[in-house]
Amino acid sequence: MDKRIHMPFVAAAAVLLLAGAAVAGPTAAPHDAYLYIGWPNDGQVLPAGQPFRVWFGLRNMGVAPKDVKFPNTGHHHLLVDTDLPPADQEIPSDRNHLHFGAGETETMLELPPGRHTLQLLMGDDKHIPHNPPVSSRKITITIR
Amino acid sequence: MFREIALAALAAASLASASAAGTPSPENAEAYIIWPPDGAVISGGKLWVRMGLRNMGVCPKGVERPNVGHHHLLIDTELNTEGQIPSDRNHLHFGAGETEARIELPPGKHTLQMLLGDHDHRPHDPPVFSQKITITVP
Repeated sequence: MDKRIHMPFVAAAAVLLLAGAAVAGPTAAPHDAYLYIGWPNDGQVLPAGQPFRVWFGLRNMGVAPKDVKFPNTGHHHLLVDTDLPPADQEIPSDRNHLHFGAGETETMLELPPGRHTLQLLMGDDKHIPHNPPVSSRKITITIR
Repeated sequence: MFREIALAALAAASLASASAAGTPSPENAEAYIIWPPDGAVISGGKLWVRMGLRNMGVCPKGVERPNVGHHHLLIDTELNTEGQIPSDRNHLHFGAGETEARIELPPGKHTLQMLLGDHDHRPHDPPVFSQKITITVP
């Protein structure tokens, strides 16, 4: 069933990609979409060696797993210690760019002692940021 | 695109009717109301309800995937996990994958409770629901 839903969308996405401008992804986002980190707070100091929960807050937009094309939705990506990636390309998947392609709306994270930045970025069904991109403010936390 | 989804939903519906059990939920799935806290007093009665979900994902209605569902917010009503979740002013559906709900309540005491529904708006097996909280609008 996955494949059946998947294939027409690949074609649709490819067409949109060709037609779209290079500065943003092919999927439109609501203009009032608001993405934020519900927890931890900016400047939070957290104890080392203990995983902590990160809440993904999203308003005026919905969550859908990867590969699901549904208007005004996307899936969460948590950027750790990195800047926003290019807005017209697939969000990298590595230890600095965590993907939540199963529609998760929170996660547990453990980071080494020191200062770290966290930022959320929505990706569309193909992991590409929306147009306009929907990202949260970047926060800084300290683990010690 | 919508025909694809409708076909998938239809296929899923016929699958569901073939077996008595609903869509399985992960054993450790947990729904909870992040905000407001139980006992909160909300002056003005307008609030955002933040809907929390652990060990499970959010997915819009009509899309069948493992370990996902969409949120329903039950207001001033009892939990019923049998059959399709009604859609009325006491049962708000978030079929577009929303994880926060803007609501407005008249003065008085109100209860809030979350219940996850599958692609077909039916509670999972076992059902995934939050604790019921009570808030007051002065």
